[in-house]
Amino acid sequence: MSPEIICAVATPEGTSALSVIRVSGKGSYELLESIMSLDKNRLKGMRRKVGRISDEGQIVDEVVVVSWPEGKSFTGEEMAEIICHGIPRSIRTIIEILIKHGARRADPGEFARRAFVNGRLNAVQVIALAALWDTEKSRSVFTGKIEESCTILLNEIEKAREAVEGNIEFSETHLDEDNKSIRSVLRDLIEYAKDFKREADSHENSSRVLIMGPTNSGKSTLFNVLTGKNGALVSDEPGTTRDGSTGFIEISGRTIQLCDSAGTDGIGLDRTASEAVINELDGTEIVIWMSEGGMTPPDDEVIKRAGEIVLIAAKSDLKNRIEVERFLNVSSVTGEGLEELKKIISRVPGSMSLSGVAARIEESIHKSDGFISSREYDLAAEILGEAEIEARRIMGKGENIELSIERALAGMCVGK
Amino acid sequence: MKEEWDVIVVGGGHAGIEAALAARRMGCSVVLISAKIGRIGELSCNPAIGGIAKGTIVREIDALDGSMARSADSTTLHFRMLNRKKGPAVWGPRVQSDAKEYARTQQRHLRNSGVTIIEDEVTGLDGLTEKVSGVRCRKSSSIKGKTVVIAAGTFLKGRLFRGDEHWKGGRIGDISADSLEDDIVRRLFHVERFKTGTPSRILQNTVNTEQLEVQKSEKTSFTFSYDKSMNNGLEEVCYVTYTNRNTMEIAKDNLHLSPLMVGRIEGTGPRYCPSYEDKVVKFPERMRHKIYVEPMGYKSRYFYLNGLSSSLPREAQEKIVRSLDGFSEAEIADYGYAVEYSYFHYTEIDDTLRLRKTENVFAAGQICGTSGYEEAAGLGLIAGANAGRVAKCLEPLSLSRMESYIGVMIDDIVSKGADEPYRMFSSRAENRLHLRQDNADRRLHNTGELFGILSEDKSELLNGNLREAGRIKVLLEKEIVDGIRLSKWCRRPGTSVEEVVSAANSLAGIDEEVLKSVLLDEKYSGYIERNLRRYESRRDLEKISLKEISSYMEVEEICWEAREALEKSRPETLAGAERIPGIRPTDLQGLLIYLDRRRSTWNNARAGEI
Ligand SMILES: Cc1cc2nc3c(=O)[nH]c(=O)nc-3n(C[C@H](O)[C@H](O)[C@H](O)COP(=O)(O)OP(=O)(O)OC[C@H]3O[C@@H](n4cnc5c(N)ncnc54)[C@H](O)[C@@H]3O)c2cc1C
Repeated sequence: MSPEIICAVATPEGTSALSVIRVSGKGSYELLESIMSLDKNRLKGMRRKVGRISDEGQIVDEVVVVSWPEGKSFTGEEMAEIICHGIPRSIRTIIEILIKHGARRADPGEFARRAFVNGRLNAVQVIALAALWDTEKSRSVFTGKIEESCTILLNEIEKAREAVEGNIEFSETHLDEDNKSIRSVLRDLIEYAKDFKREADSHENSSRVLIMGPTNSGKSTLFNVLTGKNGALVSDEPGTTRDGSTGFIEISGRTIQLCDSAGTDGIGLDRTASEAVINELDGTEIVIWMSEGGMTPPDDEVIKRAGEIVLIAAKSDLKNRIEVERFLNVSSVTGEGLEELKKIISRVPGSMSLSGVAARIEESIHKSDGFISSREYDLAAEILGEAEIEARRIMGKGENIELSIERALAGMCVGK
Repeated sequence: MKEEWDVIVVGGGHAGIEAALAARRMGCSVVLISAKIGRIGELSCNPAIGGIAKGTIVREIDALDGSMARSADSTTLHFRMLNRKKGPAVWGPRVQSDAKEYARTQQRHLRNSGVTIIEDEVTGLDGLTEKVSGVRCRKSSSIKGKTVVIAAGTFLKGRLFRGDEHWKGGRIGDISADSLEDDIVRRLFHVERFKTGTPSRILQNTVNTEQLEVQKSEKTSFTFSYDKSMNNGLEEVCYVTYTNRNTMEIAKDNLHLSPLMVGRIEGTGPRYCPSYEDKVVKFPERMRHKIYVEPMGYKSRYFYLNGLSSSLPREAQEKIVRSLDGFSEAEIADYGYAVEYSYFHYTEIDDTLRLRKTENVFAAGQICGTSGYEEAAGLGLIAGANAGRVAKCLEPLSLSRMESYIGVMIDDIVSKGADEPYRMFSSRAENRLHLRQDNADRRLHNTGELFGILSEDKSELLNGNLREAGRIKVLLEKEIVDGIRLSKWCRRPGTSVEEVVSAANSLAGIDEEVLKSVLLDEKYSGYIERNLRRYESRRDLEKISLKEISSYMEVEEICWEAREALEKSRPETLAGAERIPGIRPTDLQGLLIYLDRRRSTWNNARAGEI
C-alpha cells in the first residue's frame, strides 16, 4: 500500500566535487543496506554511514549515506541521501543500481509532492520549490523567505481583522472613537502585502504543460479548446502550426501554462523547428502526447526529457477510433475525455499561481482600506476575512478563519 | 387544574416567557412555573435591551412573533442606533427601557395569551430521565406534562457574593434553585459553574447631574417590532461619567476583599463584561473608564451604573461611587454583587435545544451557558417551539447559522460550548452581511411559518413585507440608470441608499424601510453568495463521520503532528477535524483516503466471508 521507492539526483548536472542522490519511500533503508553491504538495520532512524556502493563485485563509489526516519524527513517518508562524488558516469551508475534494486526514477517535483501529501510542506513551500524542479538547480533558492513573508502577512491580516472587529463590537464603550489606529494598521498591512507580492513574483515559475505529437494530430484544436482561444491557425493540412503557442488555463483554481508545439515527426517541418520543440521540454511538468487514434508512441528523446507523459488517442470522434488501454480517448469535437484530461493537468503541483493569489490579497487589502475611509467597516471586515482565507489556503492551513474572541478582546476594555 | 400539560416551562425569565408564548401560539396548553410571579420578566441587571448583534436578535424574535420587541418598544425611554457610522450590516439598535414597566408588560402578554402561571419552586423532574413525566414542586404536588422547558437562568444553585458576605439566591431577594440542581446532577447531567455580576443602583436625587455629560435619545421612528404601533412616546436622558485615578486607587486598596480575587468564586465570568475590579487588574495603566449612568425607569428614583459592576464590600463600593464626578454625595440604594450558578455543559444540548439524554426536556436561556436577555429570549423561543412540536409528536427543528443570529448562537453553544458566558457578537456570524437588523422579517419568515408560531396578523404583516420586497426586486432589474441596470448600479462602492432612491423614478413612493433593506440585499449580494458557497462546501465536511477511526495514530496517510492533534480531540466529523488548529487540508485529504481505503478493505473482507 505504501508508495514506491523513488530516487533522483538533487544537485546540478555536470561534474562537481560532490553530488547528492535522494531516495525516498518505505524500504529505502533496506535497499541501501543491500547495495552498500551494510548490516541490516544499520540505517534505522537518523544516521550517517560511510560505505561503498558496488555493482556485481565492482566498486562504483565510496559514499556517505544520511538517513531520516519517517515523519522527520523532507518527504515525511523513510528517506536517505547518498552523498557521492560528482562524476556524471558514476552518478548514472548509482541511479541504475538503485533502479535495478526496486527504486524508480522520481518524476519532476515528486519529492516535493510527497512532502506536500505527507503534510511536510505547504503549498507556498511547494511553489517555492517549483523553481527548482526542472533540474533541482540549487538548493539555496529554497530559503524559506517566501514562506516567511506569507506567514508575516497572514499574521498582520489577522491583527487588522481583530482591530476592525474590535472597533465594530466595542467602540461604544471604547474611549477613542476615531479610526486613526485602524488606518495605520491597514497602512502597514498594505506594505506587507506588497512584500509578499514581490516575493511571489520572483519565485513564480508557472508550470508548463506541453502538447506534443505528430503533425496534424489535433494539437492546436485541443489547445484552442482548452484555452478557449481561437488564435492558432488550424487546418487539416499537415504543418500549419509553425510556432509553439502559449496560453494560460485555470483549472481547480490553479493557473497552468499550456504550450502548443509544432509537430515533431519531421513531416512538413524542418529540423530546427523540431529541435526547438524538444528544447521546450525542459521545465515542463506534463507532456500531452497526442496521436491520432493513439497510433504513434512518443519518441525516445521525449520520453527521456519529459516529466509525466499523458498519452492521448486523439480525434476519437473519427471512425478509425481504437480502444487502446494506455491511451486516453479525447475528442476536441465531441468533448469526450476532456474533463479527465483537465483532471490530469490539474494534478500538476506548483501550478497554483502564487502571484495571482498575492495580487488578489493585495487588492483586497486596498479595498478594505477604502472601506474604512468610507466608514463601511462591515465590508472592510468582510474583505479582510476573504484575504485571510486566501492566505491561509496557500499556507495549507484550511479555511477556518474563526476570529478568536480571546484575541479580539485583548486590550478591549468594555462595560455592559 | 389540567391532567397533563403539553408544555411545562420552568422559570419566568426572558427565556421562559418566550418559550411559553411560542408553545402557546402553536396551540399547546402551557403552564409556566416561576418562583415569584411578581418578578416574571424582570431585567435582573441593566435596564437596556438591544445593542450590536443583540438588537438584531430582538428583531429576529419579533419576526418569529415573540414578545420581547413589543414590550421593549412600549417601554422605551431612550434610543440609540449603535455603529451608525460603521456600515448598515453592523448597526445595533439599543433602547433604555423602564425596567418595572417592561416586566409588567411581559406579564400582561403572558396572561393575555392564555398561559397558566403558577407561583412555586420546581424541585425536580419527574419520571425517567429518558422521558420525563413532568416536574415536582415545593408547594403543589407533581405537575404532569408531555414536555418540559427548563429556563432557570442564574438560579441553579445560585450563590451571591459581596465582599465576605455570601448567601443563597439566583439574584438578590430571590430563591436559589438548589433542589432542582441536585436533581439535575443526580440524573448525571454534566453541569459547570459560571459567574456574573451587577453594579450598584444609586438614588437619583443624590447625584449632581449637572456635572455629567448628557446623552440624549436619538429622534427616530425606529421600533424593534415590525408592527410599528407600540411606541410609548416617553423619553429620558442618560449621562456619562468617567472613573479617575482615585477610583482606581480605592479599588486597588480593596482588591484583597473581593470574593473573586480571593478565590471564593470558582465560576468563570465573562471577559467582555468585567467587574470594575477586573478592569483595574487587567488594565492597570488605564485611569479613565467610561461609565454610563442610566435611569431605571421613567421618572425613576434610581440610576444604574453601566460599567461599574462590583462585588467589593459595601464600604468600598460606596467610596468608588463617590469618587466619580457628580457622585460625591451619592447614596447607594442597592449594592452591586456577583452571582455564581450552574449551567448545562454544551455536550448535554442538541441543536434543537433538547437535552440529549432525554426525549422531552429542553433547555433555554442562561442555563445553556449564555448571558444576556436577548440571547435568553432567542433561545427560549426556539426551545418553546420545539417543545410544542414534540408535544404534538413532531420532530424538533434546528436553525441554519447562515440565516439568523439565533441560529449562529445555537450552533455555537451546542457544537463548541464556551469557556465563559456566551454573549452574541456580530463577528461570530460568518454571514454577517446578511444577518442585518433591517431584514430579520424576511430572513425568518419561512422559519416562523414552518414552526407554526406566527399569529394570523403577524403572518399577514410579514407576507406583505415579503411581497413588497419582491416587487422592488423586479423594479431594480427593470430600470436602467446611467446605462446600467439599477440592481447593479446600487452595488457600486460608496453608493448610498438615498442616492439610489433619488436616481430611480420607479422607486418613488415605496415604503422607505423595505426599500432600503432590499437595496442592502443587492449591495451585499456578491459577498453573501460567496459566503453561502463556502459554507456549503464546508458543510460537506460536516457530513463525513470520523467515528469509525478508533486510533488516529494508525492513520498512515497523515503526518504525525496531525495524528496526535486528532487523537487528542477526537472530532466527530471532518469539519470538526478542520477546526482543530494545525490540521491542514492535506491531512483532511489523508483522512478521506484512509476512510476510503478502510471501507474498501472492509467491503472486500466481507465479500470474502460470504
Ligand atoms: C447579578 C446578575 C448579574 C447579571 N449580569 C449580567 C451581565 O453582566 N451581562 C448580561 O448580559 N447579563 C447579565 N445578567 C443576566 C441576565 O439577567 C440574564 O442573562 C437573563 O436574565 C437570563 O434570562 P433567563 O430567562 O435565562 O433567566 P432569568 O432571567 O434569570 O430568569 C430565571 C427565572 O426562573 C425562575 N426560576 C429559576 N429556578 C426556578 C425553579 N426551580 N422553580 C421556579 N422558578 C425558577 C426565576 O424565579 C426567574 O424568574 C445578570 C444577572 C444577574 C442576576
